[in-house]
Amino acid sequence: MSDHLDSAIIFEPLSDAFAQDPYPTYAAMRAQDTPYYYEDADTWMLTRIADVEAVALDPTMLRSVSHLMNEQECIDLKKKMNWHDMPHHERFVQFSMLDSEGDVHTRLRKMVFREFTPAAINKHRQAIEIIVDRLLDALMDRPEIDFVEDFASHVPGHVIGHVLGVPENDRPQLRIWSEDIVQFWNIGRTEDDKRLAESATTEFYHYLQSLLAERQKAPKDDLLTRLLAEKNAGNMNEDELVSTTMLILKAGHGSTIDVLCSGMHTLLKFPDQHKRLRETPSLLKTGIQEMFRFESPLPYFHRFATQDTVVAGRKFKSGTRFGLLYGAANRDPARFENPDEFDVARSPNRHIAFGGGTHFCLGNHLARLDMDVIFTRLHERFRSLSLIDESPKYKNGLSVRGPESLRVAWTPA
Amino acid sequence: MPKITFIEADGNRVETMAQAGNSLMQTAVNAGIAAIAAECGGVCACGTCHCHIEPDWFGRLVPPAVDEADMLEFVIDPDEHSRLSCQIKITDDLDGLIVYVPESQT
Repeated sequence: MSDHLDSAIIFEPLSDAFAQDPYPTYAAMRAQDTPYYYEDADTWMLTRIADVEAVALDPTMLRSVSHLMNEQECIDLKKKMNWHDMPHHERFVQFSMLDSEGDVHTRLRKMVFREFTPAAINKHRQAIEIIVDRLLDALMDRPEIDFVEDFASHVPGHVIGHVLGVPENDRPQLRIWSEDIVQFWNIGRTEDDKRLAESATTEFYHYLQSLLAERQKAPKDDLLTRLLAEKNAGNMNEDELVSTTMLILKAGHGSTIDVLCSGMHTLLKFPDQHKRLRETPSLLKTGIQEMFRFESPLPYFHRFATQDTVVAGRKFKSGTRFGLLYGAANRDPARFENPDEFDVARSPNRHIAFGGGTHFCLGNHLARLDMDVIFTRLHERFRSLSLIDESPKYKNGLSVRGPESLRVAWTPA
Repeated sequence: MPKITFIEADGNRVETMAQAGNSLMQTAVNAGIAAIAAECGGVCACGTCHCHIEPDWFGRLVPPAVDEADMLEFVIDPDEHSRLSCQIKITDDLDGLIVYVPESQT
């Protein structure tokens, strides 16, 4: 076991210090000749972009190996993961497209991919502009806001609600359900967190059933209607329809809020880059791409090896769990010149913030469009934007990256 | 080593010697063609490595499989010579291939 111990590195991913600045730790891990073994999670952490990409693209490396297990192993896994007593969460959240592989994943992904292409997403621009303007209108007379709570946290629920076809009055509830459903993954999860996650999943399920019943009677031009048509055509079953809808909501919710807020924070931390972006709005596309690289909102995913393998020049047994540290890989100097500098014009910018391989982020164009509309509108509507708190607290944990709050002062144009 | 020529949207020509066995997408990335975004890394899951094959060359390539044909419905400004560069494997007989790169994939 001695070669498992990387004593020179202090890797405490739940600590406040790591949350405030994980990048020196990532740099130290990247500089090591072998991947870092994190004993607490029995996981080999990959931090170099070449290694992370190789595993993300390797079809023998899977997110979920439950389909390879026998019945007893599945029961044991549920108990170990502690969702054995959460029937709706298990049915609709734990089993989704994200955790499916092979033919099932391909079938489900194909059905929703057409809704998330650049051309399909661009059709939502005007609706997103209206959503953003309304949220800003309500805040215009305030000299300062918490950019997270007062603004950004409301955006994805409204936008995804619009895409799905959820009536406007019900969209604020989507934010609450989404946040409650993911309480299951809280650090130091309590029984109350589990109950909240299960009850939110159940409520959302019942709500979706009522919406789908309405669409059955009166189809509309929305994603729910099209998913229902797929179900009626026998291309997906009801559980797959519900879990796919829940995945679209929860996958596009927290991470979008986080990257909006870390992106805003980064722009305000680098005023020269912010000025450059304001003066040359055509840089917004590369600027947004750089925000995803610089503070990747979902910095950690995992894969299991399903056969003996070689990663980073070292042999590993089948069953080994690998951690793909996207946040570290996206600061790898082997790929990015001056990786710790924020450069709104960086191009090419081949980061891996949206993952890679067959699970490549489905909603990436929607997240980018949200940001495009928001930063365009902020620059049009505000003469100045500045940080009140220079060091906002970032969320603890390895799997998320974003500020808990972000106090911003602004002056209307 | 087959020679591949990429012609970017602004008319810039980039000639490169490709490695047989690599994909056309990988060849473009190695040659620094920024507009071949190839965000999923080459598994036909994102549609951001779209290119147009020079018409004389188009029919000489192995035709697209079902997955690629499906994905080509969703790329920006496709035409009858559109392909996903991640699905084209470089072989020695592609020496001289000419590829037009779109301005943007999104």
